[in-house]
Order: sequence, then structure tokens, then C-alpha cells
Amino acid sequence: METAEGTVVIEPDLEFIRDLSRQTGESYKQCFQCGTCAATCPISPDVHPFPRKEMAWAAWGMKDRLLRDPDVWLCHHCNDCSVRCPRGARPGDVLAAVRREGVLHYAAPRFLARWVSRPKYIPLLLGIPAVLLGLALLFRDRLEEALGIAVPSGEPIVYAYSSMLPHWLLNSFFGVFGILAFVAAVTGVVRFWRAIKGAESQGMPRPRTKGVGASTLSVIRRVLLHEKFTSCATDNSRLVAHLCVFFGFIALAVVTTWIITNPINPVLRNGFAYPFSFWSPWKLLANLGGLAVFVGCALMIWERLYDSDNAGSSTFFDWALLWTLYAVVATGFVTELLHYLRMVPHRHVAYFIHLVCVFALLIYLPYSKFAHLLYRMTAMVYAEHSGRDDDEASRLASGA
Amino acid sequence: MKLSNPLRTGNTGRVVALCGLIILLPIGYSAVRALIPQRSEVPQVFLEKPLAAFQDCVEETSYMRVHHMDLLKQLREDVIRDGIRGEVTLEQCARCHTSRERFCDRCHQAANVILDCFGCHYYPEPGSEAQGL
Repeated sequence: METAEGTVVIEPDLEFIRDLSRQTGESYKQCFQCGTCAATCPISPDVHPFPRKEMAWAAWGMKDRLLRDPDVWLCHHCNDCSVRCPRGARPGDVLAAVRREGVLHYAAPRFLARWVSRPKYIPLLLGIPAVLLGLALLFRDRLEEALGIAVPSGEPIVYAYSSMLPHWLLNSFFGVFGILAFVAAVTGVVRFWRAIKGAESQGMPRPRTKGVGASTLSVIRRVLLHEKFTSCATDNSRLVAHLCVFFGFIALAVVTTWIITNPINPVLRNGFAYPFSFWSPWKLLANLGGLAVFVGCALMIWERLYDSDNAGSSTFFDWALLWTLYAVVATGFVTELLHYLRMVPHRHVAYFIHLVCVFALLIYLPYSKFAHLLYRMTAMVYAEHSGRDDDEASRLASGA
Repeated sequence: MKLSNPLRTGNTGRVVALCGLIILLPIGYSAVRALIPQRSEVPQVFLEKPLAAFQDCVEETSYMRVHHMDLLKQLREDVIRDGIRGEVTLEQCARCHTSRERFCDRCHQAANVILDCFGCHYYPEPGSEAQGL
């Protein structure tokens, strides 16, 4: 808090300190502000570099400062700082814990983020989609009659899944919750953006180097190219893992979008018969994407289990996202296998579990570690927009 | 486990471009197929229409399309296992659907559903009886 005389009275947030300690094992209290971390970080800007200042704020329990700080999200947790820290304070892990606090703080509604961050709520969080989907299944026939879209179903000739969970049901189920999750995600991003802007008005005004739109486009390009990942040294195998998961996920998203838009998509007039045959280019892409996510996810899990010095300490927040992702792909492939084996009702049960996992991954996105895609991109856009990214700013200034 | 990373030599861009290309391939494939007018590769299931004289089946066409096998199984149960010979018989089916090859088999071949009934059983093709009407 700033007083009239200009002195700053620090009000430590004890609850925040306690939470950080639980997440990092109090390592951050070892920091003696030498600045090795900020000097060694390959992606930290030259002006006001991170993570030294964040380490001080963390020790002082300055929650407001940390949550409004975009630098926390510029960090890609490669742990170059953690392995070089002479005190073993593990700045990389501290910033990860602060990011978790950020997700909890900016989420809308907040209680959902609290649930997602605690293991004891797992049964509830998985139970909600399971019960809702189960009810939809139970009342499917009555719903179909009420909506006037009932189709007589006999013994299935083509072994599609739609005989049990028709497309209209899945599309509307995931559509409704998808819109809710989207609204929650946008709310979180807007809250975060306002907080960063608010912090700016209290401190030094920063020069504007780029419009928000242009910054966003540039950030998307840099995220696609994994620019920040490539400059990290210590945990460099994370680049391969993240590339696999990232592009595998995009491939799966593209196939899903195309299937959903099938009836209205002008590109899909000929030969888009669903369910696909195994050698359909779409099926091949879906399988390839699933395989890429599976491999990338396995790499990440392996690293966290057996190379935790470099990968960083792992909390429930990290594991929840990784294992959900793993469960989605694993149940997906099990479902596909059972489908080819024509095992009924096993394949339907596997499909049901798969859908519950997909719900947990996508609908809880704004509340889980998956939200890093929202907040990190927001912070990166802000960094470009404000000229925080030094190199980018000097390049623009010199007109190159 | 430490992986030596081939991507660190600065060819991440090429890898990303390759990923993008692979993802765009099926879209291009579908776009090309949508643009080029072509005869459908899906075999046209030509079903021989039942004889015009017999308009009324035992059930609606939409019902028969998905439930004919259930009715046939019921018929089998009734006749073979329970010894009940009702009014509906297989011969009655054959009066309208005069040819098994041109009606049952064509659809079953297209849908790749293998019929094993007529490996043993005789499909009564009435020929003269039906055509006489």
C-alpha cells in the first residue's frame, strides 16, 4: 500500500504465503537475492528481469504484485534458474506455484477452480459429467420423441457409436458446457488483462510498441513455432513433448470440428461418410494426432517422475492436467480397439468413460493447469504490446 | 531420462511446418473431392421394388428397413421352436420380393452384413405364381 509520503507499507498475505509454502516446500525462503536466476534465464528481458524480483515478492507475501505481474507467465518453466540457484530456492518452481495462484484467482466462478485444485473433489468433478451423461442416456428416447427427432433403431447394421449416444445429444451436451467454459475463459482473461493494466497505472507507464491485434498475431506465430521453448536449455526435452501434445491436440481439434460441422461444411460434400473407414485421411489424422498426444504426454509424465530435478517439482495441479490428458487419449484408443473388436457393451462403456475424461479436460480448462494457454498467451500479448519484450522492441525501434 | 534434442539446431520451424502440412492434408483432400464432381464411389444400392400389386407390407417401410431381421427371427422362433404357423410366412414375403439376389443380397452386400440364413434355408422364389398376378 502506498502512503501519502510515498513510502510503501508491505502487507504480507499470510494465507498466500502458506499456500506457496505448501506448493513449493518453502524452498523460496532460501533466496538471498543474488540475481543468478534473472541473469541465467534465456527468455527474461534485460529491463526489470525476472525471476529475482518475483522471488522477493514471494518471500514478502505480496500477492497483489505477483498476480498482476505478466512476467510470471512469460516464464516457460525450463528450470535453467533452478539448477543454477546457489541456494536451491528453485525460482522456476516458485513461479509455477504463483501461476497456480493466478489461475485460482482469476477463474470465474472461483469455487470451481478451488475444486479442480484439490484431490478430494475428484469424485465430485468426474461425477457431475458422468451423472449428466447417464441421465441424458436414460431419457434419450423420451427426449428424442419430445423433440420430434426419433429415428427407429433396430439391430445396428453399421457399428457406429451413435446407436447409443446420438450426435445431436453429444453436440448439444458438449455445446452447452463448451459455451459456459468459453465464457469462463474469456472472463478470466479479461480479469487478468485489467489487473495488468491496473498495475501499470500505479507504476511507470510503458511505451506502446504494437497494437493488441498485431501483438496477438505475432504471439500466435511464436507459440506455433515454440520460440521460447527452443531457447530453454535445462529441460529441453520438454520442447519435443510439448510439440507432440500441441500439434496432436490441434489435429484432434481439427478432425472434431470437421465432424461437427459436417452437415453445413461446404468442403465436405463428397465422401465424408461417418463413421470413417480406417484408411480415410481423416481417420488417419485423428489416429496420428492421438498418438502424438499420447507420446508427448508419456514423455512429460516420465520426466516428472524420473527427472524431477530438471522438470521441476510436481504438484497436484501439474499431475491433474497430465493424467487427465493421458486418460483422454488412453480411453480413446481403448474405445477404438473395442470398436474394431466389435465388443458390445464394452466399447460403449469405454466410450462413456472417454467422454467423461474429455469433459474433465475441456470443460474444466479455465480452472486447471490447462488455463496456462489463456494466461500465458495474454501475458505474451501484453509483453509485445507494451514493449516488454526487449529484443522485439529494439528491433521495431531500429526499423529492422 | 535425458533426450538429445534434434530440434535445438534451429529447425523447429521446419518441424512445425510439417505438422501444419499433415494437419491440412485431410482438409485439402476433402476440398478437392468437394470441388471435383465425381460419380459417387459408394455402390448404388439398387433394390428391386416389390411388385406393384402388393402395396401393403406387414409393417411400414421405415420400420421394415431396421426391424426386418427381428420379424424374421420371430417367425423362425414361432414356426421352428414353438410350432405355431401363423398367417405370415416367408412365402408371403417372397410374393412381393420375388428375388432374393435382387432384393436382400444387394443391400446386404453393400452394407457388408453377411447373411447366413440362406446357406441352409430355401428362399421360396415363386416365379410363375407372382408373375401370374
